[in-house]
Amino acid sequence: MKAGKGLLSLILALALLLLAQQIWAGGEKEGVKAAKVVKVGYIAPFTGSAAEFGTNGWRGIQLALEDVNKNGIKIGGETYKIEIVRYDSRCEPTEAVANMRKLAMEDKVVAVLGDHCSSCCMGISPLCDEYKIPAITIECAANAVTSPGHDYYFRMRPSMGLMAPLLTPKIVKLFNPKSVGFLSINDDYGRSFADSFEQSMTKEGVKTVTKIFFERGNTDFMAFLSKIKDAKPDVVFYVGVTPEGAMILKQAKEMGVTPGIKFIGSEEMGEMELLSLAGAEAVEGTYTVALWGAVAADFEKRVKDKFNAPMHYAIIFGYDALTVVSKAVAAAQSLDPVKIREAIKKTDYQGLEGRIKFEDFENYKNQGRYTPSFIKWSGGKRVPQ
Amino acid sequence: MRIKLKNLIAPAIVVLVLLLIPQLASEYVIYVVVLAMLYAILAGSYDLITGYTGPLTFCHGAFYGLGAYASALLTLKAGFSFWLAFPASGIIVFLFAAIVGYPALRLSGHYFAVTTFFFGHFIYLVLLNTVKLTNGPMGLRDIPAPTSFLGINFHALSASYYLILVFGLLAVVLLFLLVRSGVGKLLVSIRENEELSEAIGVNTAFYKVLAFSISGGVAGLTGSMFAHFFRLLHPTTFAWMTSEMVVIMALVGGMGTLFGPIIGAGIVTLILELMRFAPELRFIIWSVAIILVLIIEPKGLMGIVGRLRVGQGGKR
Amino acid sequence: MIFQQIITGIIVGASYALIALGLNLIWSITDIPDFSQGGIYVIAAYVSYFAVTLARVPFFLALLAAMAVGSVISFILEKFLYKRWRGSGRIQLLCAIALFFLLSNGAILLWTPKAKIFPAYLQGGIPMFGFVLSFQRIVVLAVSTLLFIIVFLFIQKTKMGKAIRAASQDREVAQVVGINIDSVNSMVFIIGGALSSTASVLISPLYAVFPAMGDLPLLKALVGGFGSVAGVLIGGLGLGLIESLGSVYLSAAYQHGFAFFVLLIALMFFPKGLFGKV
Repeated sequence: MKAGKGLLSLILALALLLLAQQIWAGGEKEGVKAAKVVKVGYIAPFTGSAAEFGTNGWRGIQLALEDVNKNGIKIGGETYKIEIVRYDSRCEPTEAVANMRKLAMEDKVVAVLGDHCSSCCMGISPLCDEYKIPAITIECAANAVTSPGHDYYFRMRPSMGLMAPLLTPKIVKLFNPKSVGFLSINDDYGRSFADSFEQSMTKEGVKTVTKIFFERGNTDFMAFLSKIKDAKPDVVFYVGVTPEGAMILKQAKEMGVTPGIKFIGSEEMGEMELLSLAGAEAVEGTYTVALWGAVAADFEKRVKDKFNAPMHYAIIFGYDALTVVSKAVAAAQSLDPVKIREAIKKTDYQGLEGRIKFEDFENYKNQGRYTPSFIKWSGGKRVPQ
Repeated sequence: MRIKLKNLIAPAIVVLVLLLIPQLASEYVIYVVVLAMLYAILAGSYDLITGYTGPLTFCHGAFYGLGAYASALLTLKAGFSFWLAFPASGIIVFLFAAIVGYPALRLSGHYFAVTTFFFGHFIYLVLLNTVKLTNGPMGLRDIPAPTSFLGINFHALSASYYLILVFGLLAVVLLFLLVRSGVGKLLVSIRENEELSEAIGVNTAFYKVLAFSISGGVAGLTGSMFAHFFRLLHPTTFAWMTSEMVVIMALVGGMGTLFGPIIGAGIVTLILELMRFAPELRFIIWSVAIILVLIIEPKGLMGIVGRLRVGQGGKR
Repeated sequence: MIFQQIITGIIVGASYALIALGLNLIWSITDIPDFSQGGIYVIAAYVSYFAVTLARVPFFLALLAAMAVGSVISFILEKFLYKRWRGSGRIQLLCAIALFFLLSNGAILLWTPKAKIFPAYLQGGIPMFGFVLSFQRIVVLAVSTLLFIIVFLFIQKTKMGKAIRAASQDREVAQVVGINIDSVNSMVFIIGGALSSTASVLISPLYAVFPAMGDLPLLKALVGGFGSVAGVLIGGLGLGLIESLGSVYLSAAYQHGFAFFVLLIALMFFPKGLFGKV
């Protein structure tokens, strides 16, 4: 048994060596860069509970890839095409970090897109500075991601902390509420959302009468809705992803809570998916924060034709993010990540979602600042307010 | 207890390779090997309670998490230095395991296993929801690296690597001495026939709790190492998937052999890493691979080794 | 409001109890906590979903179809996998866990991680105590009760049922007495698969169908997996009730943690399980 154990240890040692050798050699090979390809990394959850974000982000990126690679990027007389290297993070920070290191060391990417989950974003952002490879996050919402921020980490969408102060005055003007309730998913995104809106609502003199957190994947909200019904808030923010939102609205309608109490959904609830899952009846008369007002009809058509999937903001962000990177590469006229980062910083581009510009202000760095939309579901349509 | 020199050759080679990796390989490989080493220590300590003593547990990931958060919070909020927080976390988790283990280990095998499952999930929920303390789903960040020791800067990846390697070696050596000692043999006798052991006067309850607590304590120490290496803690890192992984690594390597689970950890990590290029298929391929391994050699890697040995005409 | 909580608790508890019953049967014969039932739970939901939406089959037929599929898968898994390692509980456990991952991740791959909403098959309900108890929820209670009675009678009155009871008490003696242990094994897996599938399909129209839907119910069912049929029922229902009431009156965030305490209490007072063995 002992010699066998030794044999085994030998095998393991060999395997380790092989891995090191392969990776190291793999890295070296990339030094002789395959001509005319610019590698960009994409870290996102493709499996696990957050899988739909990675899937949608990837769709957007693929569309942008088509557009960019049609003519390629001209640098110094040569035409380059972008190649995406993507890895799954499962919304787990240790995985995201492994992916980032692999992208930097082995794949030698010039820029990275990702992640979607704030915890993963926080894991990889220090590495971006360390490796001097710029990254644009697809959608992390937590303030902490760009506050205080990193030189090499960029965010297009406004963080939670920014959305709330921008939207609250409008909400207060529309409904003149005295009290507010929160029904939110229990994760970094859900808590950030609830906390920021609570803060800004309180500033406007609105009292919080109930605040409930539910687990991801929960489908039974009757108990929570009863609690809300008893607390009698004027408006309720409900935060989560569309299936949960659909369940919440369906059950709220069943219980007669809506549309009496004004339900305001988080960004996901502004997606068409909510309509198809919950049905026009359940969404009627409810509201939602949204990250996009309307997109060009031909873009919607492309998404439908190619993927047979409903529009989703991750598709839009994915598209914009890759477009920003490709424009930066073209502007920098270089494959040097440091120069590309400088070009990204100077971005001022009218994307699908709004004007994309990265600014440093207050405690934020490299943060976009466009104003989010506010939508009412009426007659089965999204009506901007 | 004598150890033949020739049996040290293979482990020595492994250690040598591990020592050389930071000099030869990229940061990505170094990082992955660090994670593998951490899992290896988890699997090894897990083997102490489950492989050697018997009861199957599903809360090892929770002990890992408790140690990680304890250490992080002691340094962040109580101003401890890492060198103090590290042993403190081990002791905290050791005590925790003892307190929980004492009543729980009275339960028969299956009920105990299910209880540990839920205990593990409960710890995860606590880490997730006591936001004021742990920052819950927002994650705990800016955890300090170990403070400088002999002029070594532990912010650097290689330095952390070596620190964890040293810790790992010490842990493995101590576990090895433990299982080879009289206590270790007692644990095995409890596993093989608890009633008989009890009948001949062994205080089985005491030893089971001891094994459980030591196993937990080592997991706690490992958690502390992780916390100051990764410097960002998030409850999902310690959800039940982690406990499952430890069980699988131990089973794949061969339980009850100490080195089996350690090597199993390495193998599983290696396979998962090599499959990183197939994001959607990774876990499917991995599950299928496990089932295939079970069909071919259910005793895990150590079983395969045993067969090779028998093939050579030796005895197991 | 409290009545609504109680009813919700009972309904959710009934589905836990169904899965737990299957797990219990399997456990008592084979010593495996069959995690793969969590995967079968998921597959059954999708089978019924597609039966209803694509094949346009009426709900109860879809339910039967899903039960059939679930039992067959369960039977095949036993015959070609678990059986190989009879006697080695650890290996079977590992296999069960791997199967669970395989089936759940397979569902993600085949049907995307996004939840699908199961169309309602019955509209309306009975108004009572300030809320409306939908017919679909009543069906859950009715079908669960029916199945429990059927399984109970099966175990008590039929020859196979007696064989199962005998084998659960002492496998070796049962074989000596001439009981075909292979048939017994197959039978408990078939029943287990059918029960998990039923639980899944009954619950789906109330909530949603998604690949991760099996994770939590499986864990909860493990809590109820003690002792006799009656014990399983009480355990499952009890858990459902405590979760439902606890999530409102105590803490919503810990909803899934109550299982731990229920388990502890159950084990403290009934260390050998409720009401003894099947």
